[in-house]
Amino acid sequence: MSRTAKILSAIVIGLWLLMALAPSVLAPGDPLAINPVQAFQKPGAAHFFGTDESGRDIYTRVIHGASDSLSIGLAATALGMGLAIILGTVAALSPRWIDDIILRVLEALYAIPSLLMALLIIAFTGPGVGPAIVAVGLSTAPGYARLVRSQIRSLKNSEMLESATVLGRGSWLKVRNHLVPNALKPLLALVTLGIGQAVIWAAALSFLGLGAAPPAPEWGAMLSAGRTYLHLAWWMSLFPGLAIVAVAVSATLIGRALGGKVKSL
Amino acid sequence: MSEQELITVKDLSVSFNGAPAVKNISLAIRAGRVLALVGESGSGKSVTARSLLGLSGGSVSAGELTICGRDALGLDDRAWQKIRGNSISMILQDALMALDPLRPVGREIADGLKDHGSLSKPEREQQVHEVLTSVGMPEPGLRAKQRSPELSGGMRQRALIAQALAGNPQVVIADEATTALDSALTALVLSQLRKLKEQGRGVLMISHDLAQVAHLADDIAVMRHGEIVEAGPAEQVLNHPQHDYTRKLLQAVPSGVPRFAPLSAAGAVPPPVLAPKIIAGPPALSANNLSKSFGKHAAVDAVSFELPRGKTLGIVGESGSGKTTTARMVLGLQKPDSGTVDLLGERFAPLAEGQRRKLREQMGAIYQNPLGSFDPRYSVGQLLADALSGGKTKRTAGYRNEVAGLLEQVELSTSLLPRSPRELSGGQRQRLAIARALAPRPSVLVLDEPVSALDVSIQATVLDLLDRIQRETGTSYLFISHDLSVIEHMSDTVAVMHQGKIIEQGDTASIFASPQQEYTRMLLSAMPRLR
Repeated sequence: MSRTAKILSAIVIGLWLLMALAPSVLAPGDPLAINPVQAFQKPGAAHFFGTDESGRDIYTRVIHGASDSLSIGLAATALGMGLAIILGTVAALSPRWIDDIILRVLEALYAIPSLLMALLIIAFTGPGVGPAIVAVGLSTAPGYARLVRSQIRSLKNSEMLESATVLGRGSWLKVRNHLVPNALKPLLALVTLGIGQAVIWAAALSFLGLGAAPPAPEWGAMLSAGRTYLHLAWWMSLFPGLAIVAVAVSATLIGRALGGKVKSL
Repeated sequence: MSEQELITVKDLSVSFNGAPAVKNISLAIRAGRVLALVGESGSGKSVTARSLLGLSGGSVSAGELTICGRDALGLDDRAWQKIRGNSISMILQDALMALDPLRPVGREIADGLKDHGSLSKPEREQQVHEVLTSVGMPEPGLRAKQRSPELSGGMRQRALIAQALAGNPQVVIADEATTALDSALTALVLSQLRKLKEQGRGVLMISHDLAQVAHLADDIAVMRHGEIVEAGPAEQVLNHPQHDYTRKLLQAVPSGVPRFAPLSAAGAVPPPVLAPKIIAGPPALSANNLSKSFGKHAAVDAVSFELPRGKTLGIVGESGSGKTTTARMVLGLQKPDSGTVDLLGERFAPLAEGQRRKLREQMGAIYQNPLGSFDPRYSVGQLLADALSGGKTKRTAGYRNEVAGLLEQVELSTSLLPRSPRELSGGQRQRLAIARALAPRPSVLVLDEPVSALDVSIQATVLDLLDRIQRETGTSYLFISHDLSVIEHMSDTVAVMHQGKIIEQGDTASIFASPQQEYTRMLLSAMPRLR
C-alpha cells in the first residue's frame, strides 16, 4: 500500500467514524426536528442539502444516518464473519463426514442469492434494524465460511502447525494463535469490500421498508421517502444516495489497497 | 598452458543499477580442463557464469570476453542465441524445475540440437538418441518419449545433462549442479562432468563447497564480494591456500574433522574438547521396530535405534530412504503402523496427543527450512516469547531475560528482536530455530537436514554452535542428513538407511573406516573429501 493510499484511507475511515460516532460535530442540528414551514427547501446556504416534506434538514439527516447505516454494515459483516470463522474452522478441522455435512449445507445456502435469503429471513423475523443486521449477516456467512475453511485446510498441514505440535501446543492454542489469524489475514481485504456491500444491502432492505423505519435518518429509508417526491424534490433522494455510493466506493478502494498489500507479502 | 583457451575473460565487471556484483575478474576456461569457481551465496559466482552466456541481466563491461574464438563483447540477443547451446551451455541446478513436465524429454533435448530446423524428424530422433546414450541413459529410445515426472531422479539428472549437451557445446557450465542432490546423484553428475572433461570440453563448475569440486577441478578460483581473491591450480589452492578466506572455506568442510573440533573461525580458539556429561538413566530416545507404509510402499520398515543421553545419532541415507518419515514418527507427527518410540524411558508413540503433551517439552525439532516453521506474523522476539510461555503470550515483556539468554546461546544479537524472521539470513534463521527449540529445555533435538540449505561456511558456524550447545547442556541429537561429511563430523553413532531399512549401524569411526555393507561402501566412495 503506498503512503498516499495509506493516508487517504486513514482520512476516509476517520471521517466515516466521526460521522457515525459524533455526528453533532459536523451537523449540530436535530435530524428529527420537524419544521413544516421549511418543507421542500432547495439546497442552499441555510440547508446545504435542502429539506424534506416535513422540513427536516437533509444534511443533518445524512450525517446522522451514517451511524445507522455503518453500524448495520459493520455489525452484519462482523456477524457473518464470526459465524464463518466458527463454521469454516470446525469444518476444516473436523473428521471428513462432519466437514462434508457442513460443506453441503454451505453450498446449498451459497446457491441462494444473498439478498433473497435476507428477505427470507426478514419474512420470519419481521422488519427492523436488528433483523436487518441478522439477515445481512447470515446471508453473507456461507461465502466467507467457505473461504475460511479452505484457508485453514491449507494451513493445517503446514510446517508451522507441525512445529507448534512439536512445541506441545494443544489444539485450542494452535487454532487461536496460528490458524485463525493466518487464515484471516488474506481475508481482511475481502471483509473491507464486504462492509461496503453490507451497507448497500442494509440500505436496500430499509428502502423496501424492511430495515430501519422512517422517520429514522437511515439512508435507505430516506431514499425510499424521497422517491415519492422525486419530481419536485430530487435532493431528498440524491444526497442519501450519494452517501451510500461514497461508503461503498471508499470501502472498495480501501479493500483493494489492502488486497494489494496482502498479495505483496 | 598448452591447452587451448576456449573462453578468455579479462577484467569483467557486472553491475546492477550501479551496484557492482562482479568487479574486474579475469579467468580462462581451457579445453579438457575443469575450472571451479567457489564462493558463498552473493559472492558473484552465478552472475559471472550467467554473463558468459549473455544472461547476466546487468550492465557488463570487460577488457576482453572471447568465447570460442569469438569476441562476445557487445553482442546483441540474436548473436548470443547462436552462442548459447552451441558454443557454451549450462546444466541447471534443479532437474524437476528445469524440465517441462508436459513435454517428452526427447523433445526438450531436440530443441537444443544444432541445425534443429534443417534436420528431418528421424535425424533429430537419431541425434537425441545419441546424446541420451552418451550420458548413460538406460533405454534411451523409451525415455525420450517420456515426460520428466515419469523419470527417476537419476534419469532426470541425465536428461538435464543431455539437454545441455544437445548442441554439442565446447564449454559446459555447471552452476551448483550437485548442491541439492543426495550422494548417489552427486556421484552421477560428477562422473558425467568428468566425462565431458575427457571429451576435451571445457567445464566451469560453480559451487559454494570446496569439497564438492576438489576431486574434479584442475583449477580453482575463489570468489568473495565480486572479486577473485585467490586462483590457481587445484592442488595448490587446496593444499597451500594463500588467502585467509580460502583457508576459512577449507576449514568449514566438515569431512574428516574430529568431533567437537571447530569448523569456523569464530570457534578457532575453542574451549577444550569436553565430553558431554553423561546422565544416568534410560536412553534419551529409543525406537523399536518402527514401520510405516503409504499404500503398498513401505516407507519405513522395522527401524530400531537407541540414542544415549548427551550423544548424537546420525541417520544418513539418500532421498526417499525413509529418514524423514522416521523423524516424523519419532516426533509424533505420523502414527507408526507398528513399533514404538520411547522418550527418556516413557512411551511417546503411539500415544494420544493429549497424553504425551507434557513429554513434548523434552523433544524439539529443527527443520531444513526454518522459515516455514515460524508463524509469519511473529517477530523474532514474539517467536521466542511464544516458545517460552508455552503459547500463552507473544509479548516479550515478561521474558526479557530468558529471551536475551536464548539469543546469546545461539550467538544472535538482541537488536534482531523486533525484526521479522523473513529479514534474517539463512544462517540467522536456523539459529533462531535452534533458540526456539531450546526454549523449553529439551533433552532431545531432532534435526532434519538442519544445514542442507546453507552455504558451507555458514553451515560450519551452525554446526559449531550445535556442538557447543550439546557440550553445555547435554542435549541429545537425532541428526538426519544426506550429507555424509556432516554426519561423520557430528555423530557418535551412525545408522545408514536404505529403502526404508537401517542396513547398518554402529560407532561412527568404525562405520566410516570399515563399512560392512556394499551400499554403505558405495555411499562413502561417492562422498566428496578434502582430507
